[in-house]
Order: sequence, then structure tokens, then C-alpha cells
Amino acid sequence: MKNLKLKSARAAKDLSQDELAKLCGVSRQTISAIEKGDYNPTINLCIAICKALDKTLDELFWEG
Amino acid sequence: MSINMMKSAGLAIGILIGLVVAVALILISNNNRKVRTEYDERQLRVRGDAYRYAFYSVIICEVILLILEFGEVALPIPAYVLHFGAIIIGCLVLCTYCIWKDAYWGLNNNRRRYGIILVVAGLLNAFPIYGSLSHRSTLDFPYVNLLACIMLLVVGAELLLKQFLDRRAENSGESA
Repeated sequence: MKNLKLKSARAAKDLSQDELAKLCGVSRQTISAIEKGDYNPTINLCIAICKALDKTLDELFWEG
Repeated sequence: MSINMMKSAGLAIGILIGLVVAVALILISNNNRKVRTEYDERQLRVRGDAYRYAFYSVIICEVILLILEFGEVALPIPAYVLHFGAIIIGCLVLCTYCIWKDAYWGLNNNRRRYGIILVVAGLLNAFPIYGSLSHRSTLDFPYVNLLACIMLLVVGAELLLKQFLDRRAENSGESA
């Protein structure tokens, strides 16, 4: 399932996939795969993404 | 020391020198001057799968060669070339899987420098082939160089095609 919350949070911060990837220490393709729902990140990467986007885990990764 | 032993020793020394050169080139090619290429967690997972498939490929090739040898099937190519071919097939499986799953390039790789190394390696392997063909010598045809050249060509072509497709997808907004 696509992670639209991550995509919109990234867009709200005016960050490209490449910029977010650099902030999190991963490749651009990994961020793209997470947004597309092709890859489930580990908790460590989820936390890194949340910190980069000033969001909580619930806000970005909880499917409620 | 017999000629065959000298040939083996020469090959072993050549491989060792090649390894030293490869480490030196990696040092130059990585942005942070580290030998170890860094990958993120997704890439490491993909590469794990790639190594598994490459291992299976080599095993399948070697089993086929074993069956042929057991059946005393004579092939017009020296046996060492066939075994080297099995290794090359394994490398190709590894590279192809990594390229198409976006796990070929590490985080600290300088793609341009690696590209130059690929071209230089291809040319270095092409020279003995050209020499052998121009002298019409079939006794010591450099099969190893030919296989290495084919591998570098295939990997290079795949890298270029992937780059082209990625750029096209990026322009059409698919990657976002």
C-alpha cells in the first residue's frame, strides 16, 4: 500500500526524495520504494525519517 | 618447475596483482576514500537475495559441467574456460539483479569514476583479443579476456539502460 502520508509530509517540508534520502542516510530509490509501498522500512529508518520530517511514527506509519 | 606449474604460479600472481589494483581503484572511486562500499538497509536485503541467486546459478552451471565431464563429452573449449564461464554467469546474475532492483550503486560510489574504470577494464581485456585475432592465432586464444569483456559489456549496457529508464520515469513523475 502506498504511503501517501510520508509523501505529503515530505512535500510539506519542500524536500525532494533525494534530499530526504540524504538526511536519512539512504538512497533515493529506498525513499521512493517506501512511498510506493514496495518496501517496509525497519524501525530505525522509520525513526530517521520521522526525525527528518519532524513527525511522529504514528503520523507517518500508523495505518489507523 | 614444470611449465604448467609456472603457468599456475603466473596466474595466481596475476590474480593477486589484480586484487591489489582493484582495491586501489575502489579507494579512488569511492567518495569517502573507503574500500567498503556502503549500502542502505533495503539495498543490503536486495544484495542478499542477489548473492543467493548468483550462488545457485554457479552451482547449476558447475553441475552441468560435472555431468558433461562425467559423460566424457568433449567440448571444443578448454575446461578452465568453462569453469570461468560459470563464475562469470554468477557475477552477471548478481550484477543484473542488483542493477534492476536499485542496489548496484552504493551510497559512497562515484558513478562517473566507476564508469571510467569499467571502460578501462573493458579496453584492457579487449587488447589481447584484438592481438590474438590480428595474428590469427587460435592456440592461446584469450578466452578469459573475452568472457570478462562480455560481462563488462552486458553490465555496462544494463547500467546505461537503467539510467535512461530512471531518467524517463523521473521526468514523467513516476518515481515521486
